[in-house]
Amino acid sequence: MADQDLDQMLKRMAATKVNRRGFLWAAGLTGGAAALAACTPAATSAPSASAAAPSVGASAPAPSDAASPSAVAAVEPELFMINWGDYVDPDNMKQFQAEFKVDKFTYDTFASNEELLTKLQGGAKGQYDISAPTAEFVPGMVEQGFVQKIDWAKVPNAQYIEAAFKGLWWDPKDEYQLPKDWGTTGITVRTKIVKEEVKTWKQFFEVAPKYTGRIVVVDSPGDVFVAPLKALGYSLNSVDPKELGEARDLLMKLAPHVLALDSDQYNTKIETEEAVLGLTWTGGILELRDKPETKDVAYYIPEDGTLFWMDTWVILADAPHPNAAHAFLNFIHGPEAQAKETMTNGYATCNSEAKKFIDAAMLNDPAIFVPDDVLTKLEGAKDVSTNPLRIQIWEEFKSSIG
Amino acid sequence: MDRFGRFVEVWLRSHTFLVYLFLYIPIVVVVVFSFNGTARRVTQWDGISLKWYATVLSDKTIQSFFFNSFIVAISTAIISTIFGTMAALGLQRAPKWFARPFEALTFISIIVPEIVIALATLVFFSTSWDVINPILGTKITNGYHTIIAAHAVFNISLVMLLVRARLSGMDRTHVEASFDLYGTPWRTFWQITFPQLLPAIVAGFLLSFTFSFDDYVITTFTTGAGTTTLPLYVFSTIRKGVTPATNAVAAIMLLITLAILVIGQIAVARNSRRAGSRGNDAGMAGMITDQNA
Amino acid sequence: MTTMAEAAPARARQPRRSFRSAFLTGLLLLPASLWYLVLLVAPLVIIVLFSFGERGKNGGYAGGFSFDNYIAAFERNTPFVTSLFMAVAGTVLCLLLALPLAYFIATRAGHRKSLLIVLLVVPFWTSFLIRTYAWLTILGPEGLAGFIGDAIGDPAFRILGTPFAILLGVVYGYLPLMVFPIYVTLERMDRTLVEASKDLGAGRWATFRQITLPITLPGLVTGSILVFIPLMGEYVVPAILGYGRVFLIGNQLVLQFLEARDWPAGAAKAVILILIMLVSIVFYLWFSYRGRKTREVSVL
Repeated sequence: MADQDLDQMLKRMAATKVNRRGFLWAAGLTGGAAALAACTPAATSAPSASAAAPSVGASAPAPSDAASPSAVAAVEPELFMINWGDYVDPDNMKQFQAEFKVDKFTYDTFASNEELLTKLQGGAKGQYDISAPTAEFVPGMVEQGFVQKIDWAKVPNAQYIEAAFKGLWWDPKDEYQLPKDWGTTGITVRTKIVKEEVKTWKQFFEVAPKYTGRIVVVDSPGDVFVAPLKALGYSLNSVDPKELGEARDLLMKLAPHVLALDSDQYNTKIETEEAVLGLTWTGGILELRDKPETKDVAYYIPEDGTLFWMDTWVILADAPHPNAAHAFLNFIHGPEAQAKETMTNGYATCNSEAKKFIDAAMLNDPAIFVPDDVLTKLEGAKDVSTNPLRIQIWEEFKSSIG
Repeated sequence: MDRFGRFVEVWLRSHTFLVYLFLYIPIVVVVVFSFNGTARRVTQWDGISLKWYATVLSDKTIQSFFFNSFIVAISTAIISTIFGTMAALGLQRAPKWFARPFEALTFISIIVPEIVIALATLVFFSTSWDVINPILGTKITNGYHTIIAAHAVFNISLVMLLVRARLSGMDRTHVEASFDLYGTPWRTFWQITFPQLLPAIVAGFLLSFTFSFDDYVITTFTTGAGTTTLPLYVFSTIRKGVTPATNAVAAIMLLITLAILVIGQIAVARNSRRAGSRGNDAGMAGMITDQNA
Repeated sequence: MTTMAEAAPARARQPRRSFRSAFLTGLLLLPASLWYLVLLVAPLVIIVLFSFGERGKNGGYAGGFSFDNYIAAFERNTPFVTSLFMAVAGTVLCLLLALPLAYFIATRAGHRKSLLIVLLVVPFWTSFLIRTYAWLTILGPEGLAGFIGDAIGDPAFRILGTPFAILLGVVYGYLPLMVFPIYVTLERMDRTLVEASKDLGAGRWATFRQITLPITLPGLVTGSILVFIPLMGEYVVPAILGYGRVFLIGNQLVLQFLEARDWPAGAAKAVILILIMLVSIVFYLWFSYRGRKTREVSVL
């Protein structure tokens, strides 16, 4: 009874509230709940797969079909993950636990990459096995000795990663990270209220004053800087003082009109029409389009260019359970498990094989699997988060909201 | 009584009533909505149901958060009560050159905002581990011990102040009588002083348990892997959107702290009567109000 | 929960001070002293040291000595000003709510006094976090804000995320801290003074102003400081009810330590905040000391 309720609650959360940076700072509590609930082996049987993954069907497959890793026997019975809130499909976690006899799956969360770094710096090093920072933070983590090289022999499913996602600047030799998923930062519009066309960042800034107090913006500097810099035609990684100065002016003009800085419930605010215009990710937004009462929700990848971000799995230095961590990486990139991830989280996968198990509707959604011509307008992020001027502008922006 | 006088009476009465209403409405809202049978948004009422309690109570993860909270709170309370009481007794006999700086630190532990203490502690632990671990070849990190250690600072001060207040109001004739009768200091303490201090000690224990059990700010900056406590869980679900399950957890937390208050109230009131010392009519509640003066 | 003013009562002089007694005293004080030294003094000293340093390349702290962080804190002081405003406004509001309440309990409640006190302690005793988030439901767009919005025909009407919501949250959270000390002073007030004043023909207002208020003053001051302290460093209430819009010094500290990972800049602001607190408290001590000299009434 209770288990079912919880299950439904999780489903509901997974279905409606999965934000990539869905901020659960203390623990992936709901996700973790699923994980630990799965400790009771009975709970894992489940007709559960079906709700999250209609196309996979209720087959509840033994997922790591491609070459089970050799080290299965040595997998530790525990795994400590620190991740964005609700960022792993609960069924996948249950499945993993059952398959590898991982009794204790701890899922703690962070709200921002910066917070992850602070936690690692502040005494969490050596406590966690696995994490999923955004790609541009990987070099810094390598430099500080927070991550370890991945033993690819234990992760055969890495072969499915598409070539386009290999050898990127943050990890040229592909030693430290395994791509998790990727997405964009864009504009969300309630078209039934906002009649103007808002398909570029420039238009976003122009229209904003008309919707004072009804604009929601994600609480993440790396994403917020994209808007003014791209509207002005600069690189979103700019650290040029003059360019940043102009960006600052735009942001400060936007600030009084913003309803909330919110990385967790921006979708709820859009859903209830508390906000009608948003600078958001796709998580939680795309589902709204499918509901009759919110089908006027639109998500645009701004035509003047925007951020392409990628989150990556890393195994942390001094991981207490390295074998379980490797086993998890391999498991999660098993094609069917990976497809489930994509459909739960709503972000594009880098795994070619997994695409075979993903709904056609999703595969053809240009907001998720961005068409090639739009792809050229996207720009990857550099690690500019430590630039003092950016930090200063961000603080100023934050303190003048509303 | 003149008309103005009557007006003042009515105003005082209604003001008091409204303030109490103000104090209790949120608590009532949380408890009422925890019985909401809805599976959707928390504000959509869908009949009375206990299902969220069942859900929450049978959830292994939430159980583990509860367990973590309990471990932290009970350890903090024990440490704070023992060390705080010891300090209060010691301070009574300490020379000025020691007592003054010590009191100053107590003072600082109370006036520095919690968020500053929390962040300073975060930086302190992080720096310490960086220094200690390479030297000792250890891998010390955050966990229960860091949360408990950080919680205990404020609570030691709290217990100390409660016990000191009691000591200062204590009737010393019994102590002197005991000495006159050649009682040893040890026996005098346990037979005369301790029973008189007991209400303050009990109140201190329960207060520090509760503060530790409910603490969010310090815990969040000193927690380690897998030591998530209930307040951290509640905070994260708040960020995510309050659900009836959140309300059920909150209601259970309220029940636990209230039970402690009631136990304390009874224990302190009974003990005060028996000890016949300068008791106050409102038991532990009175003690808390006194302490805040 | 209390102040030094009260922490210095009757230090009984021990007649014989032997070595054994000194040893025992030391033993009794040792654990608490160690605790303070390691977990209070050391962290605060580190914060002070760091505040003169520079941000490390990957965040955290790198050495150095300059006052840049302090200069920056003073140049961009909006969060300080906002916090100060909120703290003062919140304290005044608490005062206005608490005084009549405490007066009623102390003088009019009769046999229900104990009950009323217990009822006042209960909210104070329960989780601050829970009491705060309850307002999310009450004030939210599906609660009071929606109701008022409908009434005035403005679908965009909001309460959450406004300074008003924060003020409400903090007043709600810390009101008991104001009521307790005022109540205690009123409770211990010598009622005959009031009678005497009336007998001498003083009006109600004159009596209140010349007798009741001066006697209550120490309680008012204690209460104000007790409320002011957590208000200045508030972090939880704006984090929950603020929509990220009301940006107080507590939030800025978290931003600097956690997001910007600029420990030195954050440390400098923390030090400034501590200094603000110390100055307020010293002012308070001076104030209550002055009060005690002139009148035989004190919070003790």
